[in-house]
Amino acid sequence: MSVGHVARLMEAGGIATVIVASQVFRAQLEKMHLPRVLLTPHVMGRPLGPPGDRKRHLEVLGAALSLLQEASSAKTIETLTGSYRP
Amino acid sequence: MTTSSSPSESLTDFKDSFAYGSRTDLNFKFLKSLPDQEAAEFFRLLLLKLGAALDDGDFGRLIDHVLEWQARGYAEAKQFAYDDGPFTVLAKPLTAARMALISSSGHFVTGDDPRPLGIADMTQEMAVAKIMEIIKAPPTLSAIPFDTPSQRLRVRHGGYDIRGAQADHNVVLPIDGLRQLRAEGKIGALTDAAYAFMGVCSQIRLLKQSGPQWVALLQEKEVEALLLVPV
Repeated sequence: MSVGHVARLMEAGGIATVIVASQVFRAQLEKMHLPRVLLTPHVMGRPLGPPGDRKRHLEVLGAALSLLQEASSAKTIETLTGSYRP
Repeated sequence: MTTSSSPSESLTDFKDSFAYGSRTDLNFKFLKSLPDQEAAEFFRLLLLKLGAALDDGDFGRLIDHVLEWQARGYAEAKQFAYDDGPFTVLAKPLTAARMALISSSGHFVTGDDPRPLGIADMTQEMAVAKIMEIIKAPPTLSAIPFDTPSQRLRVRHGGYDIRGAQADHNVVLPIDGLRQLRAEGKIGALTDAAYAFMGVCSQIRLLKQSGPQWVALLQEKEVEALLLVPV
């Protein structure tokens, strides 16, 4: 998975990363031993939430930024609650 | 009564046709990864839930059903696996850090077409049709200034249904949200541009060529934190 590989390269280069992904890809992301992953209950191609739902997009970004700052070890995977409802 | 002279289609052929076949639908290409019996169960339950929704109007259960089965399908797909991996601690509060965004959404700015396979103005339909060539090609990173007007953004990607991204780029390229968080002081600084590439690409070339170049690019820009968004 491309973004997982980019995360691994960036971390090795000293840049802290957080991935925001649809929970559809949980199995793939778990196997890549990534630093920080926020899984969302959203469908493929819309990991931040439904089109036009600015409130939800900000909620996801807020959770991602918290994870970026608070994770203390690799393979920290969190799952956001909620449902995808356009 | 009419009869067809065409040969009957197997369940395997039917479910596989959603993945770059005669019925291509990028939301349902995962069906090819499922055994026949499981694919049949996907359709049986889909129709069962659709029937229930006809009475109570709760079509949200159909979305949940698709999510559940997409996850099953991708769990069966070919995967990269690693026993360990690097981890960099964010050395300062995010309120004082410089942040970048890279999405594998396939966005680019009008007039800056990354020309996959050397083809100018490739359509979304062409990107889907040429997926087997694109998956062997190196990725190209497109710079998207954070203040780019939405009407100048384009998206093309042979691996996912781009309709949501066309309706609102923020579903996979959250530049508006990051700008707001920066304005509120929750992020110290943003790079001048966000970045995007078409995530369907050669993983070897990504790891050996493009990826290291992208690391050097962000290091040069003194990036300390990176948000990554796969599609």
